[in-house]
Amino acid sequence: MLDIVIRNGRIVDGTGLPAFHGDLGIAGGRLSRVGGQLPASARQVIDAGGQVVAPGFIDPHTHFDAQLLWDGQARPALEHGVTTVVHGNCSLSLAPLKAEHRPRLVKMFQQIEEMPDAAFDGAFQWAWEGFADYLAALRGRVALNVAPLAGHTPLRMWVMGADAHKRAAKPDEIRAMQDLLRACLEAGAVGLSTSYVDMDENLAPVPSRYAHSEELDALAAVLGEFGRMLQVVPEFYSTDVTVARVDQLAELSLAHGIPTTFSPLFDSSAVPDNVPRVLERVAEQFARGARVWPQVQTRPIDISFSLDMASLYFIQLPMWYMILRMPRAQKLALLRNDGTRKGLIDAAEPGGDTSRFARLRVRDSHDASLIGRMLGEIAAERGTTPAGALLDLSLEEDLGVHFLAASMGHEDPSRIGPLLANDLVHVGASDGGAHIQSFATYGDTGYLFSEFVRAGRYLSLEHAVRKITGDTAQIWGLPGRGLLRPGMAADVVIFDPDTIARGDERPAHDMPEGGMRYVRGARGVDTVIVNGAVTWSATGGYTDARPGVITSA
Amino acid sequence: MAEPVIDGAIVAPGHDGQAVLVVRVRHDNGGFDTVTLDADRARKLLEDCAAESAEQLRGQPWRRLLTVLER
Repeated sequence: MLDIVIRNGRIVDGTGLPAFHGDLGIAGGRLSRVGGQLPASARQVIDAGGQVVAPGFIDPHTHFDAQLLWDGQARPALEHGVTTVVHGNCSLSLAPLKAEHRPRLVKMFQQIEEMPDAAFDGAFQWAWEGFADYLAALRGRVALNVAPLAGHTPLRMWVMGADAHKRAAKPDEIRAMQDLLRACLEAGAVGLSTSYVDMDENLAPVPSRYAHSEELDALAAVLGEFGRMLQVVPEFYSTDVTVARVDQLAELSLAHGIPTTFSPLFDSSAVPDNVPRVLERVAEQFARGARVWPQVQTRPIDISFSLDMASLYFIQLPMWYMILRMPRAQKLALLRNDGTRKGLIDAAEPGGDTSRFARLRVRDSHDASLIGRMLGEIAAERGTTPAGALLDLSLEEDLGVHFLAASMGHEDPSRIGPLLANDLVHVGASDGGAHIQSFATYGDTGYLFSEFVRAGRYLSLEHAVRKITGDTAQIWGLPGRGLLRPGMAADVVIFDPDTIARGDERPAHDMPEGGMRYVRGARGVDTVIVNGAVTWSATGGYTDARPGVITSA
Repeated sequence: MAEPVIDGAIVAPGHDGQAVLVVRVRHDNGGFDTVTLDADRARKLLEDCAAESAEQLRGQPWRRLLTVLER
């Protein structure tokens, strides 16, 4: 008897081929039948009439390293249909890591990925140093599959100690790092991550940035023994340097026979030729036979700020920017001064034009009723202007109120849609589980369908599914996943193609010790199945099942 | 050969949701390049150029950028 039969679905199998109607059978955690009509004699029958049945989505760029230890469901990623996550990106992983290095690495996670203390402190037991033991700590806890990367930064710390933060490695240290990486890959790592950008808590370069090219080449040689991925954060703020990194990755790819990927790559009207220039070089390198996958996110980028800091958001308003740069006490005194207040409002709203701040939203406030609302409507209620409301709200909470300027970059569908559809672009870079107190990093898959399949029609339904399932599994070398084929792992998402979307961003106090983060729920997702077990459904919510595995083990 | 100059600067969103300043540099041969600065570096650039706004960066020598990038 089958464990699950999904009946009457519109099967989108992850290959990009046209959808077809039929049933899907699951037994022993694997797909036993795909298509045709199956008898209803199964332990569980799910009617998928009118809905799409697709492979579970694979998110190739997350930072769930710690969260998975206290939330094996990686909420809310799972309910969006994500059944496999790659974590350990950007040179940071929780293993291999000696006990004495934990405090430094945690501070780097906090600095770079904006994770609170509580996510690491007391939320789980540090019971490992080596990579295999870290994976052992995950086994049996996770409801989705994990594809872990080994981080270059902890690798260096393990071998070089404090010198990892200071200098290039010596030949014997490079050999030791090679051995350590080899052990990680044998234990189940799907690759190595490194960064040329990130800073530690002291605003000094993270250890991976001290590596010379010989070191990375030696580590790539080990990746070549396993055919595994090198993930890189390039200097994405400079097109020229990013293009140079594309060339460097291509040489590593060709020399060692490995896939490489870099992220982020995002579009901005401020640098309109960035993406075209980088993609042109990526295409040239693919034509040479290299594999250099740029990861591109689906969601637009917002700017968030409070008046507590001098955000560049105000640089076009010299009076605002000057005051916001002042020491806090002086700043507060000026903001409370009637004359200064009038000057600030006049500067922001010349001739009574209130459009500059009217569409700003309150991102975070002690007054929950304000969160998510636009300054324009709050100002109308209070009998002031948006600039006045911005000042009043900030002062009422000692400058603690955060505001959001939505969709300031990577926001033009006519540019992003074709980019996501490009065969050389790897859809990813969600940063799931990171930057949690700045914005929600969940729901990018739903946004792909709502914005770029339904609204813009830049991708067909089948193409969009392929980009986040079959393509991702192929790029990363995740055997047995990403497609609906008999014998493959039964990672399945059932969703309504007419309604799937990301929900509204909202604050949630569900971090350890009640800490706040921003989340988005899913819309239009019906059921999520991992390795043959239902892990979430729209009607029942999260289940107790923990069927997730280490994908490469 | 004339020295490259800052041609303008605009605010853009950074990857992490913070505002960044994209500075456009104009070369003598007519070519352009951009450099992206975070808040700290942008503030230093304004100070070094005695500028109160992004607009006032226009025409400043590109070497001002080197100073802040080397921080």
